[in-house]
Amino acid sequence: MRLPILAASLAGAAVLVGTLAFVASDVKAAGHRLAHPEAAAAAKPAAAVADHAEAPYCTPQFKEVLKRVVDACGLVGEGDRRGCAPVDVNSFASISDDDFLALFTPLEKRGAIVMFDDASDTLDEGAKKIVSEKWEDRRGAQFFFVVARASKPGGKDFNKALSQKRANSVKFLLQEQSKDPDLEKKVGLLWLGSEYAQLPKDYCGTWDSSRKGKPCNADAINRSAFVSWVDCRL
Amino acid sequence: MMTKRTILPGALGALASGLGLFFSAFSTHDYAQHLDRQLHATNCSFVPGLTDAKGGENACTTAMYSAYSALFRDAYWGGVPISLFALGAYAAFAGFAFYLLIGKSSASVRFFRGYGIATVFPLLASIVMGTISATELGGSFCKLCVGLYVASALLFVSGVLAFRQAGGVVGAAKGPHVAGGAKVDPDATVKDPVPWGAVAAGEAGHVDPMSVDLAPNALAWAPAGSRLVPLGVLVLLGAASAAPALVYVASLPKYDAYLSACGTLPVPTESTGALVKIATTGPVQPALAFEDPLCPTCRAFHQRLAAEGIMEQLDYQLALFPLDNECNWMLDRPLHPGACTLSKALLCADETGKGRLFLDWAYEEQEQLAAAGKAGKEPLLAKVRARFPGLDACVDDKKTKQRLDAHLRFAVANKIKVSTPQLFLGNQRVCDEDTDLGLRFAFAKLAPKVR
Repeated sequence: MRLPILAASLAGAAVLVGTLAFVASDVKAAGHRLAHPEAAAAAKPAAAVADHAEAPYCTPQFKEVLKRVVDACGLVGEGDRRGCAPVDVNSFASISDDDFLALFTPLEKRGAIVMFDDASDTLDEGAKKIVSEKWEDRRGAQFFFVVARASKPGGKDFNKALSQKRANSVKFLLQEQSKDPDLEKKVGLLWLGSEYAQLPKDYCGTWDSSRKGKPCNADAINRSAFVSWVDCRL
Repeated sequence: MMTKRTILPGALGALASGLGLFFSAFSTHDYAQHLDRQLHATNCSFVPGLTDAKGGENACTTAMYSAYSALFRDAYWGGVPISLFALGAYAAFAGFAFYLLIGKSSASVRFFRGYGIATVFPLLASIVMGTISATELGGSFCKLCVGLYVASALLFVSGVLAFRQAGGVVGAAKGPHVAGGAKVDPDATVKDPVPWGAVAAGEAGHVDPMSVDLAPNALAWAPAGSRLVPLGVLVLLGAASAAPALVYVASLPKYDAYLSACGTLPVPTESTGALVKIATTGPVQPALAFEDPLCPTCRAFHQRLAAEGIMEQLDYQLALFPLDNECNWMLDRPLHPGACTLSKALLCADETGKGRLFLDWAYEEQEQLAAAGKAGKEPLLAKVRARFPGLDACVDDKKTKQRLDAHLRFAVANKIKVSTPQLFLGNQRVCDEDTDLGLRFAFAKLAPKVR
């Protein structure tokens, strides 16, 4: 009677020990893979990280302009904003007027032209409305550009100062309307005065503007600030 | 009623034990594979090993990721899979069945009966787990589990046969084999009129030792066995069942350091208040989840949180992250067409205080909504309209779009992966690897207030 018990006990014990060895080996193998995840990591595709929009118009040249404005305005990096320093128009000298304008052409549907009275930096109701509309239509953009100009009459220094005031008018309106505490990190200002990259008259008809349908000529279209979110990553 | 002893209980028990070991070993192996916190294919076939393990969702992964697949999940990453207990139990039954086979005639009556009683436990376990599969896991029966159910049923049949073939009259003072009602030592063997191997009374020829009849008119010795034998069988069964679990726990790697290695939210607050607050009954733990209402993994995760009883304890904020390039600029094609429209509808439902209701509905009806989303915006909106009338105007409103954009920009500000779902407890990101098997363990460590 004892022999069958002994034999069965041994058989049962052998099966049990086998299962224990199997369990220990399986768990330890997983522990080894856990400690050395290189193979698994290599096999895994790198997951994309959420980022701002990147539109096709974000060419290297466009990004160069964007970067200069962003740097000048201290829009990226830690710490308080330094304030927008005037971007030296000469720094764009390597880009012709036409090329500079061409960079912004794809923003025709995204942006708008805010128009001012002669020698004025005051935003009228139409201007306020269109700035507000464009600001709210942010989507995935990181930066809001304000590119201000002045028409030829008035002289170089006066026009430079005027275009700066126009850019600031837009920014002050945004500050007032949006109450966005991070606004300073989003809005890039660029004032071109009257010397560089003047808008041709045909911008009067094709671009969305604050005075659409009203009389427009080559001077009027340059008494303006172009506003748009820019769907480019830096 | 007693019948003659045959090899059937032992043979059937051995077969059932073999099957039980086979299926529980594959189930344990699949579970243990995941202890490296990676995703693995699972065996979900009646012939595992002969067919390839499969990735993606199947009934076996559903069962594995469910709250019912393991014990002590708060204490150990992934818990202790219940298949381990089956593994140990069937190892014990293999030994018992072997004894029934080789000690068929010499095994005590009480061993036969103890074996019979012991086979009830795997059957009970199968009934419980089968009921859970039918009622809690959407009626999806994992084939490995079904294999174990079959093994336990066969084992139970072998137990019934063993009980019936136990023979003898254990512990009785009187019995058909006992002369003159004399007192019988319960631990003694019961003696038949004609001992083992003898010629049956009134019959010529030999007795087949494999078919000795212990019933009245039977022939052989049937040792009654100690009263402790059935208890011993159960104790051995219990010890063997626990042994693999103990070895498993002792072999587990340490996971604590991995839990907090998946980063934090650099910008924990959405400044415009665009996120959706999901109403829960007993919020104790702030949580933020990035989800897509048409993402199947989000649905499974949501259901897991609910099944675990975690959902209602979360102070839950939802950041929508539809994987659809209609609104999500981070994608160049729609992974879940219609997710933007459905997300906007959810925001509209939230405006009327029905955000939670909408989210639960969207997950419940996800397959139909996904199909509608593929068909176009209008079919999808028709489904929304049928359940939540009056949201149409809001869905197309500029402000709704801007609110959804704010959700997406919140994802950008926090540099989250373009993937859903993603859960943050407070500011701490819960690793993707800890959102299924390790969910309970992760919560025990990262959110101890959640019970």
